[in-house]
Amino acid sequence: MPRLLGDDFLLPNLGPHNTPYFTAGTIQIQFCKACGHAQHPPDDVCYACRSRDLEFRAMPGTGRVESVVLVHHPVHPALKTKVPYPIAVISVDGAPGCNVLGNVVGCAPEDAKIGDRVRAIFDEVKHPQTGQTLKIPNWQRV
Amino acid sequence: MHGKAVVAGVGESTYYKHGQSPDTEFQLACTAIERACADAGLDLAEVDGLISYMDTRNSPLRIAAALGMKELRWSSTPWAGGGNNSASCVMQADAAVSAGYANYVVSFRALAQGQFYRLGSGSTLAAGAAPEGLSWGLPYGEMTPAQECALHTKRWMHDHGVSQEALAAIALASYANAQRNPRAVRHGQPLTREAYHASRWIVEPFHLFDCCQENDGAAALVVTTPERARDLKQKAVPILASAQGLGPDIGLTAFQKRWFPGMYYENVGRMIWERAGIRPTDVDVLQLYENFTGPVVMALCELGYCKPEEVDAFVADGALEGPDAKLPFNTSGGNLAEAYIHGLEMTIEAVRQARGDSTCQVKDVDYSLAIAGPGYAPGSAILFGGAR
Repeated sequence: MPRLLGDDFLLPNLGPHNTPYFTAGTIQIQFCKACGHAQHPPDDVCYACRSRDLEFRAMPGTGRVESVVLVHHPVHPALKTKVPYPIAVISVDGAPGCNVLGNVVGCAPEDAKIGDRVRAIFDEVKHPQTGQTLKIPNWQRV
Repeated sequence: MHGKAVVAGVGESTYYKHGQSPDTEFQLACTAIERACADAGLDLAEVDGLISYMDTRNSPLRIAAALGMKELRWSSTPWAGGGNNSASCVMQADAAVSAGYANYVVSFRALAQGQFYRLGSGSTLAAGAAPEGLSWGLPYGEMTPAQECALHTKRWMHDHGVSQEALAAIALASYANAQRNPRAVRHGQPLTREAYHASRWIVEPFHLFDCCQENDGAAALVVTTPERARDLKQKAVPILASAQGLGPDIGLTAFQKRWFPGMYYENVGRMIWERAGIRPTDVDVLQLYENFTGPVVMALCELGYCKPEEVDAFVADGALEGPDAKLPFNTSGGNLAEAYIHGLEMTIEAVRQARGDSTCQVKDVDYSLAIAGPGYAPGSAILFGGAR
């Protein structure tokens, strides 16, 4: 499924915290190996126990829409033909307390609702500057 | 109660629509500081402390040199966010003066969003690719505070059955009060409920009129001790209490489950009421930073004014409009209708209410409260006492 806002729209630059999320083709969440705490976005220290021993784990790739809004005002030139588009906060199954942001795809933009169950699907694109292969998560209602 | 420091003077440039200032941002900053010192009756050379927030352009070094300050002994800025510091930047001045590190500290904010970028445009973020720290939202078109606050507001309205009319009441109150204020950019442009509902969506549930303006202008306050203020010309407004706060687990992004949806004002409210020894109902007049109307109604509830299920009734029927309102609120027109000087113009309005020289003056003000921007942590608040 292509990205809602265009395959080349503001692709993420990769660093140590976001490479798993945007390249693995699964929903990757950071967990503390010492205490099991899950946190998103990732950081260098566990916010629950201060451990530095952290790892990324693949989640089942399902979740729930906790909030969703329709954007009407395009704040970027590339979005003029894309509005209205939905932005959602999605709670990630398997990662207690972790919410991620994303677009809901595969339905009319106004149809995405709070409480919808969703599943991650990935769009594979090449970063034009770095040449890296990215797998950008989108969310589809199930 | 604290009361070791006072606001001795306030000043502002002319407020302009975005991009319309004939002056540069630095000139606007200097004008506001000159006027605040003139209002206080203070020689500019005596200013020995400077504080701003979210400002990397108008450095204390530049200001001190341009305005001929003899000796700069305090410079600081509250960390993180933006408008959440429109109260804490005065709290830091209080701390500096109360501790004796400086005698006359100026807190200021200047914005020329024509000369530079518009805060709400996302334009600085929009070029090329998304930096790692912003990559969680930007690739999905999540680029502006309006969108972030809308995500909170939408879920909160859903959970508590809050109607669009509660948001409308905030916009209508700010616009109604601005009609009394000749400084207000929206003076002479009253807003009707029909025009509110007919205005275009920016991001649901925010119409155009739910969003603050973007403006060019500058605002400044002079803080000193009560003893020094006796030798100045303006009424001294005591700082009775102030608070800045961050709850546990509030990180850099806005959507952690524990605080979603939320505006991060429960802890700030708890601190300000404890420190002041008063309750919300004791406040005579409230300035509550409107980035967007939704965060205002959420913050009202977090501060203890009412429960979310009661907020529609609490703000209905003009309860916030005019000097005789049930809760006199955003009496200058606020960010929505006076000007968006990142909320510092609202802190100034709280001082004016305490002095008795607002254009929408509430009678017999003992407690005048300013609440900084909701939705961004750490939030802040400052309470002024009536100047008799």
